[in-house]
Amino acid sequence: MSEEFDPRTERTRLAVAGARSATMAALRDRPTGEAVRSRIFQALIMFAVSVALLGLAALLIDAFVEGEGSLSLNLLTEPTSRDADNAGFRTAILGSLWLIGGVILLVVPLGVGAAIYLEEYANRERWWNRIIELNIQNLAGVPSIVYGILGLAFIVRGPLDLGFVLAAGSMTLGLLVLPTVIIAAREAIRAVPPSIREGSLALGATQWQTVRRQVLPAAVPGILTGVILAISRAFGEAAPLLLLGAATFITADPSDPFSGDFTALPVLIYEEAKQAQPELRELAAAGIIVMLVVLLAMNSFAIWLRNRYEQKW
Amino acid sequence: MRETRVHYQEELEALERSALGGLDLVVQTLDRTIEAVEHQDVELAELVIADDDRIDGRYLEIHQAILTLLATQAPVATDLRLISALLHVMKCMERMGDQCVNIGKLIPIAGHEPPADAGMLRDIVTMGKHARTLITQCKRAFADRDVDLARDLVRQDDVIDNLNREVFRLALEIGDSHDAREWAMTMMLVARAMERIGDNAVDIGEQVAFVVTGLFREFEDASHPGEVSEPSPQQSS
Amino acid sequence: MTEQERRTEAQRAGSEGDRRGLSQAIAVEQERPSKGLKRETLFELEDVAVLYDGNPAVREITFDVFKNQITALIGPSGCGKSTLIRCFNRMNDLIPSATVEGKILYHGEDLYGPKVDPVQARKLIGMVFQKPNPFPKSIYDNIAFGPRTLGMKGDMDEIVERALRRGALWDEVKDRLGDNAYGMSGGQQQRLCIARCIAVEPDVILMDEPCSALDPISTGKIEDLMMEIKDDYSIVIVTHNMQQAARVSDMTAFLIVELDASEKNRTGRIVEYDETEKIFTNPSDSRTEDYVTGKVG
Repeated sequence: MSEEFDPRTERTRLAVAGARSATMAALRDRPTGEAVRSRIFQALIMFAVSVALLGLAALLIDAFVEGEGSLSLNLLTEPTSRDADNAGFRTAILGSLWLIGGVILLVVPLGVGAAIYLEEYANRERWWNRIIELNIQNLAGVPSIVYGILGLAFIVRGPLDLGFVLAAGSMTLGLLVLPTVIIAAREAIRAVPPSIREGSLALGATQWQTVRRQVLPAAVPGILTGVILAISRAFGEAAPLLLLGAATFITADPSDPFSGDFTALPVLIYEEAKQAQPELRELAAAGIIVMLVVLLAMNSFAIWLRNRYEQKW
Repeated sequence: MRETRVHYQEELEALERSALGGLDLVVQTLDRTIEAVEHQDVELAELVIADDDRIDGRYLEIHQAILTLLATQAPVATDLRLISALLHVMKCMERMGDQCVNIGKLIPIAGHEPPADAGMLRDIVTMGKHARTLITQCKRAFADRDVDLARDLVRQDDVIDNLNREVFRLALEIGDSHDAREWAMTMMLVARAMERIGDNAVDIGEQVAFVVTGLFREFEDASHPGEVSEPSPQQSS
Repeated sequence: MTEQERRTEAQRAGSEGDRRGLSQAIAVEQERPSKGLKRETLFELEDVAVLYDGNPAVREITFDVFKNQITALIGPSGCGKSTLIRCFNRMNDLIPSATVEGKILYHGEDLYGPKVDPVQARKLIGMVFQKPNPFPKSIYDNIAFGPRTLGMKGDMDEIVERALRRGALWDEVKDRLGDNAYGMSGGQQQRLCIARCIAVEPDVILMDEPCSALDPISTGKIEDLMMEIKDDYSIVIVTHNMQQAARVSDMTAFLIVELDASEKNRTGRIVEYDETEKIFTNPSDSRTEDYVTGKVG
């Protein structure tokens, strides 16, 4: 059957095809300059990320390679010893955990309290409040060794005169990370929408009732984040602890924060890395791995805790 | 200040123009009716009857437009009163048209003989002319929102009412001739229709007062005849 | 003729079916200053002004709010309606730069008097906000928060159920009281906020544009709710939606905004305050007329 040539359908077909290709052209193409710039930008970002990841990977691989030989469960169970074969990190791990425990006890009430005061009660107009705000930002950047000196002067000796004990270490580390907690807690509190506060106040609740029953519960995830950051930092600090008299080769587990020698994981690793014997240096590398594992475990727990209380606005 | 709802205002103005234009149609019809009566012109009377469709058409058109405006624009305050008044005006217009039709239907009955009483006929034609004036006056009063002009309609309507009484008196004295009596009674009905047209024009005047003052008052109070009531003081823009 | 005599005559004239008598009755109706209801005064405002850093946002506000009525505040943007309504429950206290001048009496007592505790005032004078603001808690805890915090006695389950029933929400949520309030639709959330307000058994409910963030169906439900609870609570509502004010309110106050001499400061004031019916059929002031007909925005 021969097809009749109908000029109308042909014209229609051509028109449709023309329109479609014009539309596709308009939709598909971006101005070439724009496309190239996008690609370059993407490439730069990928590069930056890779550098960071590579650096981290290098560190981990190096530690692993070095310490792999000494890795065994003994590291967690055996106390410190000069005998490399039998040495473990138990004392140091426990010491670090006690230190961190003390830090949490100090930093959470003080930090959250300060944040509440600054966000909910302080009148921004007043000059002393503005000075406080400024100071907190500055303190977050002060090098940790300075805190060590502060601790040595005022906590170990000076007015508090506690001596070279675990409590002194906790307090000093606490001061070190307090600004971080305050800043994070403030952000978390600020992130609670004012409409929540207004709603609570409009019902006849007092400001304190509003803070305690609405604002704080809603800010918990953010506060936990700040505490996680704080703990992670405190866990890894060696410099201030050295000044505060963290001993290195003690074998007794910590029992009383106000008396007796103490040690911590980063301090021990530092000591062992300095030693002449290669076995001890190997041990230090293994210690790094242990530290990373403990840190990872702690952070994971804290993140899980935070996710449980996550609020979706 | 910047004007808003321009489209709505234009619609409202167009609606009012069209509604008041309906009154022009009535005047046209009334003119033909008066002529038909004066010359006992049956053909003209039939034209009047047929042409009433135009007035009815205008009525329906405006009625629909008002419903649409109410539904879509939710008018309030003066706009609302205006819409309500326009509905009344349309009804009055339609009734006036129907009165003309009634007159038109009566003319053939009056017969082709010369009128039994020239005086009656003259009075009726005069009533018609006064009614015509009333309609143009009430239209102007509405368009200008002139309450005083509207109130003056009562005075003019009194003239028509007096003429109506006069026609009635003349009819009573028409005599014993059967044909004459038939003619007289028919013409009385015509006079009554004219009188009704006048009343409708006064009603339109009352709507003017309602739009302006927000109060609906009778210009003549039945329980206080002869008094023209004052509206309470109203401030308007 | 006295009011009473006029009314009897109008009734008699009306029942005769006489057209003229009927319109006389209509005339009598329209001359009455009020509906003849006995109205109790709830708030009395006298020359009230609210200033932010010394600049008045509203001034010369003088009017009375009546009990068990819905009073609407309407007016163009920036005329200070929200500022004004926040005076009624002392929410302006929370803004440091705000000062309230003039007298506001609540049931005859000075609301801003030295002996008045704003927290106590807010228990009696509740507020619903423009954007629904449920707490990040379960539906049950949202309602229970007020009673618990204020130490209300009674079975909490009962209190919650009663509040949700009054708020026309019970049937929709009774099976999921433990769900997070944020899972509800906008209209439901706003009704939750109203129910939350009702749960503390206030005397007055203030509503600051409660429906402006909602769709028409939810708006309709909330308007129905307002009409239902009117008998138990007095309501003051700020609204941008004139048709809403016309539909639900008994009294309406119309505010405008004026620029001062320096052309820098905008101040709101009341132009007209009257029964809603009058405002929307025959307002006294031409500015009100222009606003409600939409000729001036």
